[in-house]
Amino acid sequence: MTGGAALSRHRPAGRKRVVITGLGVVTSIGTGVDAFARGLRAGLSGAKPITAFDTTGFAHANACEITDFDPRQWMDELPADDLGRASQFAVAAGRMAVADAGLTVAQVRDQRALVSVGTTDGESRDLDHLTGLQVAGGEDRLDPVVARRVWPGRLSAGIVRELGLEDVETVTVPTACSAGNYAVGYGYDAISSGDVEVALCGGADALCRKTFTGFYRLGTIAPDVCRPFDADRQGILTGEGAGILLMESLDSALARGARIYAEVLGYGLSCDASHPVAPDRDSIARCITSAHRNAGIEAADVDFISAHGTGTKANDVTEVGAIRQVFGEALPRTVSIKSMIGHTMGAASALASAACALALREGFIPPTINHRSTDPLCDVDCVPNQAVEAELKVVQNNGLAFGGNNAVLILGRWDEAATAPATASADRVA
Amino acid sequence: MAATADQRFPEPGLELVVSGWAVSSPFGLGRAGFAEGLRSGRRAVAPVDPALWPVPYAEAGLIPGFDIREVLGRKGTRSMDRVTGIAVATVGMLLADYGRSLAADPEATGLVLGTSGSVQSIMDFTRDALTGEKPYLVDPAAFPNTVMNCPTGQSAIRHCLKGPNVTVSGGAATALLALQYAARLLRGGHATALLAGAAEEFSVQRARLERAAEHGGDEPEPLGEGAALFLLEQGAAARAAGREVLATVLGSRFRAFQDPDRAGAALERCVVDLLAGAGVLADDVALVVPGGSPGLLGKQEDAALAGVAGVRRFVRPLLGDATAASAAFQLAAVLAEREDRPELADRLALVTAVDRDGTVGATLLRLN
Repeated sequence: MTGGAALSRHRPAGRKRVVITGLGVVTSIGTGVDAFARGLRAGLSGAKPITAFDTTGFAHANACEITDFDPRQWMDELPADDLGRASQFAVAAGRMAVADAGLTVAQVRDQRALVSVGTTDGESRDLDHLTGLQVAGGEDRLDPVVARRVWPGRLSAGIVRELGLEDVETVTVPTACSAGNYAVGYGYDAISSGDVEVALCGGADALCRKTFTGFYRLGTIAPDVCRPFDADRQGILTGEGAGILLMESLDSALARGARIYAEVLGYGLSCDASHPVAPDRDSIARCITSAHRNAGIEAADVDFISAHGTGTKANDVTEVGAIRQVFGEALPRTVSIKSMIGHTMGAASALASAACALALREGFIPPTINHRSTDPLCDVDCVPNQAVEAELKVVQNNGLAFGGNNAVLILGRWDEAATAPATASADRVA
Repeated sequence: MAATADQRFPEPGLELVVSGWAVSSPFGLGRAGFAEGLRSGRRAVAPVDPALWPVPYAEAGLIPGFDIREVLGRKGTRSMDRVTGIAVATVGMLLADYGRSLAADPEATGLVLGTSGSVQSIMDFTRDALTGEKPYLVDPAAFPNTVMNCPTGQSAIRHCLKGPNVTVSGGAATALLALQYAARLLRGGHATALLAGAAEEFSVQRARLERAAEHGGDEPEPLGEGAALFLLEQGAAARAAGREVLATVLGSRFRAFQDPDRAGAALERCVVDLLAGAGVLADDVALVVPGGSPGLLGKQEDAALAGVAGVRRFVRPLLGDATAASAAFQLAAVLAEREDRPELADRLALVTAVDRDGTVGATLLRLN
């Protein structure tokens, strides 16, 4: 038995194994999987002064904004202004994921598909704009083109329309800042049960005044950069972008000789049901435990954790406390890519999933940049400032959100060396 | 315990049933008023008071006299917005009527709510930022309302639902997508009981946006609001808890269309696949509740269902366009009709939705 087969013991009979074979990413440290991977390895920072909206009156206003995105490059079917910025990001990432998987759009059209896109704000950037029009010109001064595109269903429907998919279930998952993990987990369930053959899942969000203002008012926007787990951390930087993962069954990927980034081993969900914004340690720990159980792993199997790691005082202490509750004193390395790309809201755990898949495939752990000295209250090896090479088998990706919406995803390395014997033995059994 | 939920990986072909429901609609709060409204065919869309609702519409389908503090009390409702109040109230009604044994297992009980949150809350927050003395002098307590999962998270807090807490959105198909999401979570072993459904609010900004958007050039249809939720669990679990099985969920199917002229073809294919997957015939369907939107999409839906037997029931002309909650009202109409007509036992009911952003969906139930 190979390691992979041992893990599959925990999977119920009749469930398919699910793998990630395509990644599409739009981020402030690089668009496209190669640029993103280079950025993660180099520890690039997307932080810069905000240009998305007028920041007059704020004492500080940095964010991880994307300043080189041209939607026309990615939209063939719809006029660019048919979609808001978050949907445009989603479409771009969706197209990239298909191409990165080595599939043509026609091949995706021929399969039964799921498209699920998570988000925090949907097209709140457009709602900001429309509110600005009302304030300046009166209540009925709404731009019809923008008013048509504000509903969150467009984030997933935009991908479907651009790709011309027909045999598809299209759903947006506005489960706030863990929405990417929800959407990916949903794809895992849909493929493993055999309901669909291919899934384009992830998350997207665009910078907006509304969310920057809310976090600023709560005192959780860092004045300069985001320093997760640092003794002097001062909060988040808001970010933007999209991450879309193309998933399919292991059988399908092997049959077409696809490059496999990682296997989705499982995921867990929990709800704090206690406070709308403050995270709850016990509930996060419960989510981690249920993810491990669903994936058929033990805590000791986890080689590193991609933390929610927002860089606020409260999050990092609570999250590490929850990790400690599950892992005891033997904590795996625990990093936050939010130090590089900011808090991309509904895209955050999708982009972190993409980073985990790359890490498993290429054998490295992305760093936590901007790090000076680790806070003893959240004392983890956060892989400060420099990526490290590492043989990885299992990684854990945490997503936490307003509403107490926790989602933890477990990915495993797909060992190509083990593929041949495993396949052969499966053939013999068959 | 949650551990049991996670460890037992149910069979993909698991029998999932609806064993409870609750509704808040322009017919009022509760199932009885909803059923009575449908039975009499009473139109609940009514003139709006322009002093309360300065909207570019003469009529709307409002929950009559809905006041969050009257329904939910003063505690914890100071900053609650309307869609959250509607969701919290409706979840509460379902749990009060059906959920007693669920409270013993909060970690295995969750909520899948279809909603796009409150555009009113989002736009109010930005307005305060744009018009206040300083751009950051906004009410921090209102910030969570601007995130679309607020109704779902608040419902969990008020009713101690610690299992999966999921928010989904997909226009007119939202509630069918929520039911499908819940079914997958149950089959994946993530929970043992889920409340699934959808909620929508009427608001001034929603009305302005809809009016400005001029979707498809049709005459603007009155907007509605409300919520309906359904308790979804394994048949065996329902029977063990002493809950009557109201309906068995035979499945859902979705497709997409690019051109509105192809919406009917997409839905027809969807329904054919759904019926075939369930191993039943179009002639076996006894009750159909279509989305029933006016205009081209409604005509496409009619044509797609031409080959399906069964009596048609329409809720949209009575309740208005309830957007995210529209298919939830359609599902509720199926359960209301079942209670009125015992002869529907063992018969099939079909609910369909056609969304203007390109999704069609259908859900098939066997009534008990």
